[in-house]
Amino acid sequence: MLDQAAVDSLVEMLNLLASAKDAMSDEIVTRLARTASEGMTLLDRLTRNEGVMRLLQVLDRPESQYMLISLADALAKMSRELATAPPAKGGILGLVQLARTPGTQEGVRALSLLGQYWNDSLRELHRRGG
Amino acid sequence: MRILVVGGGTGGTILANNLARRLVGEIRAGKVRLTMLSASDQHMYQPGLLYVAFGQMAPDQLYRDQASLLEPSVDFHVDPVERFHLDRNQVKTRSGKTHEYDVLIIATGARIVPEEVPGLSEGAETFYTEEGAIRMHKRLKEFQGGTVAMVISIPHKCPVAPVEAMFLLHDFFKARGIRDKVKLRYHYPTNRVHATANVAKWAKPEFDNAGIEYETLFNLKEVDPVNKVVYSEEGTECKYDLLIAIPPHRGMETIERNNLGQGGWIPTDRFKLTMNGHDNVYVIGDATNIPVSKTGSAAHFEAEVVAENIASLIKTGIPVREYDGKVYCFIEAGYDRATYNAFDYVNLPDLKPPSKAIHWFKVAYNQMYWTTVRGLL
Repeated sequence: MLDQAAVDSLVEMLNLLASAKDAMSDEIVTRLARTASEGMTLLDRLTRNEGVMRLLQVLDRPESQYMLISLADALAKMSRELATAPPAKGGILGLVQLARTPGTQEGVRALSLLGQYWNDSLRELHRRGG
Repeated sequence: MRILVVGGGTGGTILANNLARRLVGEIRAGKVRLTMLSASDQHMYQPGLLYVAFGQMAPDQLYRDQASLLEPSVDFHVDPVERFHLDRNQVKTRSGKTHEYDVLIIATGARIVPEEVPGLSEGAETFYTEEGAIRMHKRLKEFQGGTVAMVISIPHKCPVAPVEAMFLLHDFFKARGIRDKVKLRYHYPTNRVHATANVAKWAKPEFDNAGIEYETLFNLKEVDPVNKVVYSEEGTECKYDLLIAIPPHRGMETIERNNLGQGGWIPTDRFKLTMNGHDNVYVIGDATNIPVSKTGSAAHFEAEVVAENIASLIKTGIPVREYDGKVYCFIEAGYDRATYNAFDYVNLPDLKPPSKAIHWFKVAYNQMYWTTVRGLL
């Protein structure tokens, strides 16, 4: 047997459902259904897309996440520095001066390594058929 | 293995997507090629036309790009078939190209032929085309009172559409505050208000409650649009101020031209869904002559059976399923209520009491349709 408290809870729940029903309209149902439909389609496409799945596997690795975080951090810093730095003067001397700074040399080395591994990765992807 | 789907409506699209999913490995390995030929680059949600006629949906909500609904592995061409050479496993398209196949699926649908009834095109409104539905909505908005008569030819797409339209007419004029000035008259060709006994049993008292008058055994013969009179083959007539017609239907012209079936309906095995005398040719949807409703729902269930069988034949050499005649149709019942009609070859429909929840299910399905044709639901 239900006690009074349980009956009150049930009545409360039914009132909640009735109020939700009264608040609904064909337009709301249409919008909800459209969102659900498009959401399901998107989810289906994502879960059956091998490229996206491989990307998620790569993103699962902590070093990939650190890389993205550091890249975002570096982009923000670069943006701030570019905004405050005086315009480049141009000329070969400016380039030589830039090349002498340790930061530039490390940056070029990092880009060179990135190019090398990126190239290897692309070869491997093509070998496995995309 | 070359699989060719002719027709990009509900049945053809569901079937192509279902096959593309089932045969993903075979397609990638180049063992299977899946091609679709359609007359249009647009896909229309046809049941939505009824809602357009009553101002409840906008026409642009009915369309999506066909290519966006198909799996990327389906080779899609807008190039309708003109000639079927079933003895040579070939079809020839409007552009002059020849497509060869190992398995052919014909899903070309049905068309309306109002011109077969004298005066019908000039005298009646209909909601079976986009232009017709928009024009009907305009006429309903302008209508100030009098007799609205509905006349029906069978067979037609969506068998419950005339019943739904009557209830929507009742609601529409009630909402406009002129229901008392409008006489609604329903004319049906058989000896009850619907060909399906249980639908007739349910609809008759609902008509009575809504004050909808009805006349049975009224087979549409001729419309006199000048004097606004519609005549039946039985010798009766009805004067109207606004005539709404469910026009006669036929299968597609190309089916008739190629002598594939009388009236454009292709003789089809009701269980295997193969064309009689052609085991590698399947027919689904409105194009068949099988004794089920001409609805998207039937096309959907048929497409799933055929896709599963074709995939199984390719993988194991054995088909696995038979179509049991399953159909599921919503029926708008007015007053923001709906019911549904579910049946198969063995089980007759048993209509549930109409409710708002089922109406919302139908409203939601109008959107979920796009998930269905993509092969997800």
